[in-house]
Amino acid sequence: MFDRFLIRKDSLENVVSGGEVTGFKFAVRIADYRGCFLSLHNGYYVECDGEQYPVSLQKFEINNRPPRSFEEIRKCVWEHWDYDDEGFLYIEKKGGLLPGRHTIGIQQSVLAQYGYMPWDEEWVKNPPVPGKGSGAGKTAAICKFELELQA
Amino acid sequence: MGIKRGVSLYSYQQEQFFRRMNWKDMIREVHDNLHADGIEIIDEAIIRNYPFPSEQFIYDWNNEMARYNMKAVTMDVYLDVHQFRDHVMNHREAAERLKNDIRLAARMGFENVRCLCLVPTEVIEMAIPTAEKYNVRIGKEIHFPLPIRPGVKPAKIDPVLDPRMAEQIIDLVQRTGTKHVGLVPDFGIFQHSPTDLAVDYYKRHENPDMVDFILEKGRDYEIDDILKMLDEKFPGHTMNFMSMGTIVIKESSARPEDLKEIVPYIVSMHGKFYHMTEIEGKPGQYEDKAIEYAKPIQYLKECGFDGYINSEFEGQRYRQDGSEEDMIDEVEQVRRHHEMLSRLIGK
Repeated sequence: MFDRFLIRKDSLENVVSGGEVTGFKFAVRIADYRGCFLSLHNGYYVECDGEQYPVSLQKFEINNRPPRSFEEIRKCVWEHWDYDDEGFLYIEKKGGLLPGRHTIGIQQSVLAQYGYMPWDEEWVKNPPVPGKGSGAGKTAAICKFELELQA
Repeated sequence: MGIKRGVSLYSYQQEQFFRRMNWKDMIREVHDNLHADGIEIIDEAIIRNYPFPSEQFIYDWNNEMARYNMKAVTMDVYLDVHQFRDHVMNHREAAERLKNDIRLAARMGFENVRCLCLVPTEVIEMAIPTAEKYNVRIGKEIHFPLPIRPGVKPAKIDPVLDPRMAEQIIDLVQRTGTKHVGLVPDFGIFQHSPTDLAVDYYKRHENPDMVDFILEKGRDYEIDDILKMLDEKFPGHTMNFMSMGTIVIKESSARPEDLKEIVPYIVSMHGKFYHMTEIEGKPGQYEDKAIEYAKPIQYLKECGFDGYINSEFEGQRYRQDGSEEDMIDEVEQVRRHHEMLSRLIGK
């Protein structure tokens, strides 16, 4: 669901920190009809112009807090990502993106469930690597977006 | 009294996503244009800062409901067993979430909470004292592909869903004598064929010949077998068990007449639907071609059911892969659903 709308079209920007371009960011919505406890957010499968960016290079900005790594996010067991709210996904990439259009593919991994499942213990020990559908919510595909880098 | 009409605000999820309607607009639509008073919500979609809403939010909610004289029928609550990430929630912890949701529901004036069909009966039993204290009933959902009564057809045993679910809840009620546990049957259990919206969605994203092949084989074969055929005949396809389940539907998972046996236990019903289209030769009258409504409503009436059927529109997700203009109008779909409900209920 919301296949074409999970990333806001005009949100792709480079990230500047300490006078240097350290990566890029874009605005995302949850691929579900409800929000989630923030701790359930397990990161994204992200590819940009054919290159993949693992969860270790990602940070998530939500609830008026500075961007947090997914190691920090998993500890936010009493915080909620509300359905209405947009979050920003930050990707570490030295020098950021070149001006112009970029092709971004994403699939979320939010470990929301409707109850107990056979893989529960395994997910505690080895959380799924995003991109294979685990936690993809109601949007099973890796959704592709053509985005223009904003100035 | 008779059957009453309501709406789950889930039906307007797309309007909410695009920020065209908020929960107050939705309540007003139900009141002004559907002339209905039942309201159902998804807690994690509507309650700002769930599970710790502000006092202002609660007051605002109760005030808005009072303003239009609406009835808070059912709040849909969830069970995410990975919340703490360092361990799988045990049943006592799961019951704590349910109890907290019950207290929240009571503060917002809800008569019932709907818990999911995967919530263990033991968890529900642990929450009974809280449900009784706050006078909120717990209704466990009978959702597709569950039957009302098992053994009607030789269904394959699902690894997680127990086909004896309704029976287990009735046993719990009889064993404990509680009046605060029951069932929420979803009209999705009377879906007898795939909705055209799902078929069209997969035809846009997969080889249309393959989709026709699936529909044809779906009449005689099980999903596992068809997937094996696809691997051979259409290598590289991306269908899986979940997506196949939306277009391989031979018959409904429950029999409408089985409703008769559970009417005393129904706390409210989900009026699941996918696509309301005009009935040929009957201008202004609508139907969902994939879901049986007439017979179940007839049986509910015969048995004196006087609770709510709350519309639960779910077709929108099959048209969110194109532009905003191609999307389905949720408001219009729910209005059509209420034309049908009013006609079948007979008022």
